[in-house]
Amino acid sequence: MESNAGTTETRSNVTVPDGGEVAAFESLQFTDEIHRLISAPGTDNASSFTALLELPATQVVELLHSPESVKLIVASAPNVEDFKGSFHFPSNTGLIQKDARFSVFSGEGNNKNEKSNSPEMTSKNSSANLEKAVKSEPAETVSSLPLVSDPTMENRNIKRKDREKKVKGSTKKSKTATNERLEDAEKLPYVHVRARRGQATDSHSLAERARREKINARMKLLQELVPGCNKISGTALVLDEIINHVQSLQRQVEFLSMRLATVNPRIDFNLDSLFTPESGSTMDGGNFPSLVTPLIWPDVQVNGYRQQFQHQWHFDTLKQPIWGREEVCNNYVTLENSLLSCDSSANSATLHANQLKMEL
Amino acid sequence: MMNTPQQVKNPSSSLKSRFITRFLGALTKINAEDPISSPSPTRIFQRYRRIKVASNKSMAYSVRSRRIWSRAMLSRFRSRRSAFSGRRSSVKTTNCTTINVTINENKTAKGGLDMQTDELRELVPGGEAMDVCNLLDETAHYIKCLTTQVQVMRKIVDFCHLSK
Repeated sequence: MESNAGTTETRSNVTVPDGGEVAAFESLQFTDEIHRLISAPGTDNASSFTALLELPATQVVELLHSPESVKLIVASAPNVEDFKGSFHFPSNTGLIQKDARFSVFSGEGNNKNEKSNSPEMTSKNSSANLEKAVKSEPAETVSSLPLVSDPTMENRNIKRKDREKKVKGSTKKSKTATNERLEDAEKLPYVHVRARRGQATDSHSLAERARREKINARMKLLQELVPGCNKISGTALVLDEIINHVQSLQRQVEFLSMRLATVNPRIDFNLDSLFTPESGSTMDGGNFPSLVTPLIWPDVQVNGYRQQFQHQWHFDTLKQPIWGREEVCNNYVTLENSLLSCDSSANSATLHANQLKMEL
Repeated sequence: MMNTPQQVKNPSSSLKSRFITRFLGALTKINAEDPISSPSPTRIFQRYRRIKVASNKSMAYSVRSRRIWSRAMLSRFRSRRSAFSGRRSSVKTTNCTTINVTINENKTAKGGLDMQTDELRELVPGGEAMDVCNLLDETAHYIKCLTTQVQVMRKIVDFCHLSK
């Protein structure tokens, strides 16, 4: 058994990164080992169990320190059935061994801690029947194993709950679990995605699934950005909406630039008559750089600007100064600087509005 | 999410304010170069094209190289400018030429997603070389910037109309 354990050790050492196929393979290996153990002649269950325990006894300590090693069980449905059906008791130790080895060689303690929270929380939602079934099995083992310490039992309970969760295969829970894990996994060099019930566990489909979930997350963000997209279901229609939205935005930019092109020449003409250095008290020609507060341009203030505009306009058209082009250009530079530093008080609101007028 | 200029640590350096300064500067430049009142349609069309380019360019410069689409747009501008100085050919506009020709056959379920992603690739600058995941990312940011652009330009147009 030591040699077998040794070989499985090396195997897990090499292949921890893509856990899916290897873990399934290893669970098969453990069933073989357990078969051998149980059918060993001349040894009753107790001694075989203690023989079994010797290995995990050393690694139970590690298990105590790293209960999150549970998470690396990738149990596709048939293997779980095998364990559950025939071997209630030895399967626990087999799993403990496997978990211990994963905990030794995987080396991702912190991340697994985060991941362990979600499945445990979701497993609490599993039906009462399954919970009872879970607890009855460890109860049997407790009675027959006086040597086992309590934390080990807790670990077995946790593992059993997780396996139950997998067996139930409720896609909603596993989806949330995999989503959370995926967010963690995006920071890791390897993507650890747990296989769901009835789905393939080879690395290609795992990567494919991770990719698809990334794309779905981004589609959700886009749905929030585009108005009216939340009610639509189906990727094709949502993409249609997004495309329409982008097209409409681009057309709006063109339309507005056309309006600016037509409107602007008249503004220039009016600006010449409006822009005076000795105009009213609100317009300080020389004090533009003195404003240093940051620019806030909320929508509410637009209406205020409009009123100020009209007042200023009526006031300024009374005077008809003559402006050279060079002076206007020089002032545009200082106006740009103060445009950024305009605050929202009434005086500088008029200033801001006038600056805009002058610039255009 | 994008409408809060205080999102960045220095409020005056938000995307919106950067775009505003650049665009207003470009507008004043265009108005300075153009003769004041020339209502001929060709002149107005030229102004329109210039203003549109200035608007897109200001937005692309405000985003700098942080996004694939802005980098693609900027490289397009630079190549266009160098080509334009060499010969006076009609340059392809960045955004609008493909809009009129979209055929909406988007009823197919899964295989038809390729059609939409292709359309999206045409709309978003630099989209041809992106995989779907990045394309969706860039589309989100591009939509955000386009809405800022539209908002600012609308306000400017309102100001201009008011002072008539």
